[in-house]
Amino acid sequence: MFYNNIHIRIRYVFLVVLICLVITIIKVFYIQVFQYEKLNNLAESLWSRKLPISADRGEIVDRNGKLLATNITTTSLVIIPSQVKDPEDTANKLSQILKSDYKDMLSHVTKKTSIERVHPEGRRLSYEVAEAIDNLKLDGVYLVKESKRYYPCDNLLSHVLGYVGIDNQGLSGLELYYDKYLTGEDGSIKYFSDGKGHKLELSEIYEAPTPGITLQLSIDLDLQLALENELDNAMSKYEADSAIALAMDPNTGEILAMSSRPDFDPNNYQNSSTEIINRNLPIWMTFEPGSTFKIVTLASALEEKTINLFEGSYTDTGSVNVDGATIHCWKHGGHGTQSYLEVVENSCNPGFVSIGLDLGTERLMGYVKDFGFGAKTGIDLNGEATGILFNPSKMGLVETATTAFGQGVSVTPIQQVRAVSAAVNGGSLYRPYLVKNFLETETNSVIKKVDVVKDAQVISGETSELVRFALENVVAHGSGHNAYIENYRIGGKTGTAQTVENGVYSSSKYILSFIGFMPADNPEIVVYVAIQNAKNTVQYGGTVSAPIAKNIFKSAIDILDIDPSEEAIPKEYTWLDTKYVEMPDVTGLSLEEAKKILKGFKVEFSGNGNKVVYQSPGAKMYVKESSTVVLMLN
Amino acid sequence: MKNKKFDYKLFGAVIFIALFGIVMIYSASSIWANYKFHDSFKFVKSQSVFFIVGILIMLFLAKIDYNKYKKWANVILLGCFVLLVLVLIPGIGSVRNGSRSWFGIGGFGIQPSEFAKIGLIIYVSKYLANNQKDMRYIKKGVLPLLLVIGVFFLLIMLEPDFGTAMVIVLTLVVMIFISGVKISFFVKIGLLGLLGIVGLVIIAPYRMMRIVAFLNPWSDPLGSGYQIIQSLYAIGPGGLLGQGFLKSRQKQFYLPEPQTDFIFSIISEEFGFLGILLITSFFAFIFYRIIKVSLQSSDLFGKYLAFGLGTGIIIQALLNISVVIGLLPVTGVTLPFFSYGGSSLLVSMASIGIILNISRK
Repeated sequence: MFYNNIHIRIRYVFLVVLICLVITIIKVFYIQVFQYEKLNNLAESLWSRKLPISADRGEIVDRNGKLLATNITTTSLVIIPSQVKDPEDTANKLSQILKSDYKDMLSHVTKKTSIERVHPEGRRLSYEVAEAIDNLKLDGVYLVKESKRYYPCDNLLSHVLGYVGIDNQGLSGLELYYDKYLTGEDGSIKYFSDGKGHKLELSEIYEAPTPGITLQLSIDLDLQLALENELDNAMSKYEADSAIALAMDPNTGEILAMSSRPDFDPNNYQNSSTEIINRNLPIWMTFEPGSTFKIVTLASALEEKTINLFEGSYTDTGSVNVDGATIHCWKHGGHGTQSYLEVVENSCNPGFVSIGLDLGTERLMGYVKDFGFGAKTGIDLNGEATGILFNPSKMGLVETATTAFGQGVSVTPIQQVRAVSAAVNGGSLYRPYLVKNFLETETNSVIKKVDVVKDAQVISGETSELVRFALENVVAHGSGHNAYIENYRIGGKTGTAQTVENGVYSSSKYILSFIGFMPADNPEIVVYVAIQNAKNTVQYGGTVSAPIAKNIFKSAIDILDIDPSEEAIPKEYTWLDTKYVEMPDVTGLSLEEAKKILKGFKVEFSGNGNKVVYQSPGAKMYVKESSTVVLMLN
Repeated sequence: MKNKKFDYKLFGAVIFIALFGIVMIYSASSIWANYKFHDSFKFVKSQSVFFIVGILIMLFLAKIDYNKYKKWANVILLGCFVLLVLVLIPGIGSVRNGSRSWFGIGGFGIQPSEFAKIGLIIYVSKYLANNQKDMRYIKKGVLPLLLVIGVFFLLIMLEPDFGTAMVIVLTLVVMIFISGVKISFFVKIGLLGLLGIVGLVIIAPYRMMRIVAFLNPWSDPLGSGYQIIQSLYAIGPGGLLGQGFLKSRQKQFYLPEPQTDFIFSIISEEFGFLGILLITSFFAFIFYRIIKVSLQSSDLFGKYLAFGLGTGIIIQALLNISVVIGLLPVTGVTLPFFSYGGSSLLVSMASIGIILNISRK
């Protein structure tokens, strides 16, 4: 046919066109299916703008869930320059409300950026300022909620909690140590804008911020309050340079309460000097412990069986000569001949020199190190000190002798508390810690529990029992008697150490300390108190710090629900003390007989019968002489 | 010659595709139109007017015996030549997007190059039909024709309107191809064309930028690659099913003038791959019907004319889509029946009208 050639070529062209169409379809399919992810993400970032929503920082609560650090919501100014219609007018109005520089504001408003924060004048706005800005209804000007750290108890536990900066970043204390946990993940409001930067009426995508993890501390707020209160009283009473108090559970290493003066308000940390803020004295301050250190010497000697508390004796003449150096006892003229128990009760320096020298440098320093001195305790805080010990290879007898009664070594309060806890808890050296649990924010369910860490077994259980007995005697009969509480078993040791000023011992400035535990037979709490440079008082730890510790123990009885004990060692009385006597058992007796036995007490009774069925206080309790006894009759 | 039935399938497909085009012009342009003219329907209204006029012209031309064009072919071509010269004269022709290619008449713009496309196809169809035997000889048959085509190509390139010039030249070359010219000639002409493109790039370096942009649009995302990137940001997120009608985001001032050259991107974004499959199927169907008309025409002139007009439309569509999806550098060609533009729509519908008339003979 005539048209055949033309028709063949037309069909060729048709075929080529079809192939071209198929190629384009394949390409479109490739773009829309295989490149979908990539292009959609790129386009999404082109279309959307994100307004950040800051996440709440994790809260900090005490062991019972009471708030120690939380957040309050504040408002901040955010500008999206591409949406600002009249930059001059906007800058003018904003600078007037915020009382800031117009040119400065104009540069914020016209900045080539997707989102501009006005820092710092646009942060944490007061309600009035925020409302004024909101009322202007300016394009491209947004108010976003920001979370601000708040410490409801102000100064309480300030050094431990620490504080945060303007961007909610932890700067000290637990806030710094656990910053990673406390910091949440910021969320955002993602909204879509057109090519000119104007907001589109498309649905906004809200990405909720993830709040940080809640920290549950081992701290007991009630005990902390009691302890803070005691420190405040001590500071005002003695006009001291500084004061430290620390309470720990000796069976776990949990810090129950911890504070020092001077302190600061983390809500307004700017008002305090960085020296005060940065020095968390219970872990930072190092000083000669003085007599409280004798507990370590005692425990070591008992473990090595180099002394016998009851059988051996030591005669104190008031001073002892070691290697040509004379070491004096704190008591002029000395304590005379004493059992080693009395050496401990009297805190006799020459006695401890003898104990230390009997042990020898190597063994004594071995125990000192085993008890954790000369190294950080590993508490979950920054800024802990290690303290200073003599180098054992260079130690002479004099150094060994002074170390034995707590001079020439430099230690932190937390090291002492940890060591004494080990000495009285059966010999286990626990690592002190503050954070007990990591909690889920919404439900407060435990995400992670912090395990108790036992670092070492320092002495045996039997030795520990002897230490407890000796120290209970110190409180009942010896230098620690000001910490004695009737019907409760308390053990402890006082300390009076000279402070070093410009490299020499100061003759007038002392650190007066007391370390004690309760109940003495099965300790639940170890308390340490140290007052630096107390004025208007005798410079004895037993006079200044022991009564403070006693008050803390009294609070602890209620807070930790510690039962009274009938086996407490009776106190030895001086004529100054109110006398306490043991309550006789009168239940089951007739009223007549009871009255006879209770001579000297005021007797009140209820009921009509003649037989005593109940008495208060109960039998074997120690009560004040001539106090009231209530009897219930059948 | 007995009268055959009016090709309702072709007519219906064209009406459908043009209506779809108007709907998409609304979707693509309403935001721009509202921003520029405070009238969301600005572009739709004028396109609808052209659409109605287009239908009338199509129906009218369907009744006009196409053999008349053969008689008037030289006059039509002369008219086109005059218009193409006039449009280059400042004061008469107006400049849009850097090209002096428009006559502004009232609110509408008329592009003489679009009409020259039809004029040339008619002329070439006549030439091929009359010189069928001479087409085997390059010097005697092909070269005179290429001379005429070359003159028009140059005129259009003076505007400059590279896209339309390419469509016209490609269409006419394909027409010459089916006339039976030796394949070797086209290889030579292809090499020549390649050299020509290289030459054009050397003359105007911005064309090189466009080519580079097409190879890697992200090399200059704010400059030469901008349009391609914005186009891909529309097509990609469209996915299989699209964002939904009116829900394009790229038309919100990201893709410039989305109702014209890049309307295909917006269709991809709103209707996804399925929408694109539908549109390309319609184009394939329309081209198939036209090829059928051409094959069934018993007259050589009718054969060439139907084939030429159909090829013109499909080549333009392929060029546009290829540019939009990044297969070819940006040339500035509209998508027939879809892109906003009166001349383009009128010429496309007029072409169909002529083809419809051919189908009846």
